[in-house]
Amino acid sequence: MHTLIQGIILGVLTGGVYALMASGQTLIFGVMKVVNLAQGAFVIASAYLAFSLFTQFGIDPLVAVLITTPLMFGIGVVGHWLFLRPLRSEDANQLSLLITFALAMLVEGILSMTYRTTYRSINTSYANKAFDIGGFSVSAVRLYGFIVSCVLLIVLYIVLQKTRFGRAIRATVQNPQSATLLGVDSVRVKAYGFGLGISTAAASGSIYGLLFPFNSGSHYDLISRLLSVVVLGGLGSIGGAVLAGVIIGVVSSVAAVTWSPTWSEMTFFVVLILVLLVRPQGMFGRVERGAL
Amino acid sequence: MIELLRVENLTKKFGELTAVDACSFTVKEGSITALIGPNGSGKTTVFNLITGYLPSDSGKVEFAGSSIRKQSPGSLYRKGLTRTFQQARVFADLTVQENLVVAGGGKWTNLFGRRITAEDQSRAAELLDEFKLSHVADLYASELSWGQRKLLEFASVLMSKPRLVLLDEPTAGVNPILIETMATHIRSYNAAGVTFLIVEHDMSFVMRVCDPVIVLDRGKTIAVGDPETVQSDPRVLDAYLGD
Amino acid sequence: MKLSKKGASPFFTRSGLMRGGVLIAVLIVMPQLFPQHWIWNMMFFTVLYAAMSVAWNLIGGFAGYPSLGHAAFFGIGAYATASIFKSSEILTNGWQPFFMLPLVGLGCAILALPIGYIAMRVRANIFAIVTITLLFVAQTLGYNLKSITGGAQGAGLSVAPFHLDIFEQPFYFAAATLLLFAMGIAYFITKTKLGMALTSIRADEDKARGVGVRTTGIKVITFAVSVGITGMAGGIWAYYLGFIYPQFAFDPLITIAIVLMTFLGGRATVWGPVLGAAILMPAQQLLAYYVGGSQIYLIAYAAIFLLIMLLLPRGILPTFLNKRRMDSMATKGDLSGTSTTPVTTGGSKS
Repeated sequence: MHTLIQGIILGVLTGGVYALMASGQTLIFGVMKVVNLAQGAFVIASAYLAFSLFTQFGIDPLVAVLITTPLMFGIGVVGHWLFLRPLRSEDANQLSLLITFALAMLVEGILSMTYRTTYRSINTSYANKAFDIGGFSVSAVRLYGFIVSCVLLIVLYIVLQKTRFGRAIRATVQNPQSATLLGVDSVRVKAYGFGLGISTAAASGSIYGLLFPFNSGSHYDLISRLLSVVVLGGLGSIGGAVLAGVIIGVVSSVAAVTWSPTWSEMTFFVVLILVLLVRPQGMFGRVERGAL
Repeated sequence: MIELLRVENLTKKFGELTAVDACSFTVKEGSITALIGPNGSGKTTVFNLITGYLPSDSGKVEFAGSSIRKQSPGSLYRKGLTRTFQQARVFADLTVQENLVVAGGGKWTNLFGRRITAEDQSRAAELLDEFKLSHVADLYASELSWGQRKLLEFASVLMSKPRLVLLDEPTAGVNPILIETMATHIRSYNAAGVTFLIVEHDMSFVMRVCDPVIVLDRGKTIAVGDPETVQSDPRVLDAYLGD
Repeated sequence: MKLSKKGASPFFTRSGLMRGGVLIAVLIVMPQLFPQHWIWNMMFFTVLYAAMSVAWNLIGGFAGYPSLGHAAFFGIGAYATASIFKSSEILTNGWQPFFMLPLVGLGCAILALPIGYIAMRVRANIFAIVTITLLFVAQTLGYNLKSITGGAQGAGLSVAPFHLDIFEQPFYFAAATLLLFAMGIAYFITKTKLGMALTSIRADEDKARGVGVRTTGIKVITFAVSVGITGMAGGIWAYYLGFIYPQFAFDPLITIAIVLMTFLGGRATVWGPVLGAAILMPAQQLLAYYVGGSQIYLIAYAAIFLLIMLLLPRGILPTFLNKRRMDSMATKGDLSGTSTTPVTTGGSKS
């Protein structure tokens, strides 16, 4: 029982980070109707940035978020402008999916050139600290990571709900055509929406780097998890992604403590298959109105 | 005349919005029935529900006496119920002739037969000739004009010799001459035994071609009758002019 | 352009048969002209990747479902072959692994049926998600199912008992046979109603369902055939190398390579992927020879891929064919009465 609860706590804390990464992923899908396969690669790139900032300049990874977030936003906007905006042909959808895949490869290649492929981890002073809360041990990095994730999710929520830009994004997610009719500049919304989605990778990367050892190839593992989270939550639903992030975090962490850490890595795939069998649109996804 | 299609209490909600609200009507075999209503009254959604593109929340749909509520568009097509779309949908990467042949249906095993058999070709040639598309038979559908696409889509749903065809705005965005062509085709296929259910905005077209007329408002049937009766029905005027 | 002739579309055209004959001749003669080992090696990889690209094109090109998980089936085929031929007892003259390939391919295809069915119920995006996840899952299994794969230490096959002077040749001819088989299927698709059905799925799947195209069955079976061929390629590859590791058997680089080759040469054509492979694989081998290091090709592949998508999204062959078609139509004035700018239809494949 004790290990089970311990597992659940761990899962919720880890799930918070998945929730942050996945909210960016699903936001991009909502705005552009494109599954961004490079999200994991950008998270790992951010983890490397945090690693460098920490080892070179002694900047704490959680503080580095303030530097990496705008940087990732910029990379997202430029990436969109360079590679996604120019697509005009009838199968732009299929092409943009493959373009994000190629972007992931490009980022992975650059990272493995710069940092080699050995596993890195960010060893801060609090890396091994743990709190004792009601008899359960909670590691400091996980707790801090969780708090930062929650704060950023709230910021994201405010941006989407309270700002003009956020309203434009939400209108585009709901109905791109009428959003354009209402005077929303769709190209700009897409570019900034893509940037915003990528910028969630920055903080996620810092936290990921604190929690797990990583190398340039880690993004496959990550993207598989993220995509499962996003599908469970319902493609395009940010609330769904947050809830699904926590659920998958808990399920895989409970599987790790009660069964086997190695095989718990597969739980997300099982979840993915189950979702697709039982409720393909996910928890909060809309059924595609194919004929309309 | 027997009822070919019967819709009873059909309901569909999108979140908060009830798009189709306990809608009921029937389509008699051999008729050219119109389904009209102001924008957003749920006409296209009704089409999507009948043809299996959207799952309905509740209600009944019967085609030729048997329930078809949970069936896929493909199996309905094979039963003789087919439709066109508001934005004419044709297969851009196939030629005009191939667009017809691919809609020709047939057995599984035909998939492994020649792309276009002599039989396909004569069947397609008939329709192409009738719809005046023979001269573009070998062009890709992506190379057609808007009106030609409308004609092609119409022709292609006739390939399988359907019993009931649902046309979603056959005249939208089409020039006056082509509107007459559409009317002629609808009448001549109707005379040959095909039943039509038509969503249309062009009232003069409806008045000339269709009988009876079903009027939808906010997902409900509010009037049914011949064109003159419906036109003078105060509830219909309210629905179009009200609010 | 020609008007439709009366009668059926022919199954074998003279030009088709001629091109096939030329390819077979080239496949046989080419390596005899350059008998060095490194040429044989390069030709082996070119032909193997050409076969895989042709296979990927069946589902990714003709049907428009971009699979990112073909490398998973490549690896499964490789490990299946490796575990059957671990010991040399059943390997008498060295040809058995090749005869076993159809069974390996069939196994992969059967495995693909439920996966394809689940992944293709809801459109191309979910399909890409499931296939890329599948690759990671297969890789994890490769590392962890140590009893079958030997984990990170790798798995060895018994060495092929071919004379060293001609060592590459049996592998090359096996790969060439696989290529011809895959191209035969692609050719068959373009000449039958199956090809039209696949094109209609790619163009507008909802509409295709609505005109009675049996979309589900066609997609799933095409996917199964496609990965079956890929599994067989994995088998040949494993036997050729003699020792395989999970990170190379389940390498995302394989996926991007075959996708890139297909896009470069031209999707949904019989010859496009072959052309793409013939350009890229020798280039990669030369790059590896002069520069070395796989990170380089990761970057190079990704960069070339991005460039092709932006500059030549239809690929070499379709661009060329389209230009020729336009020219011939312009000279005959066949476009009268039709819009000259191809407008796209509202196919919603998201």
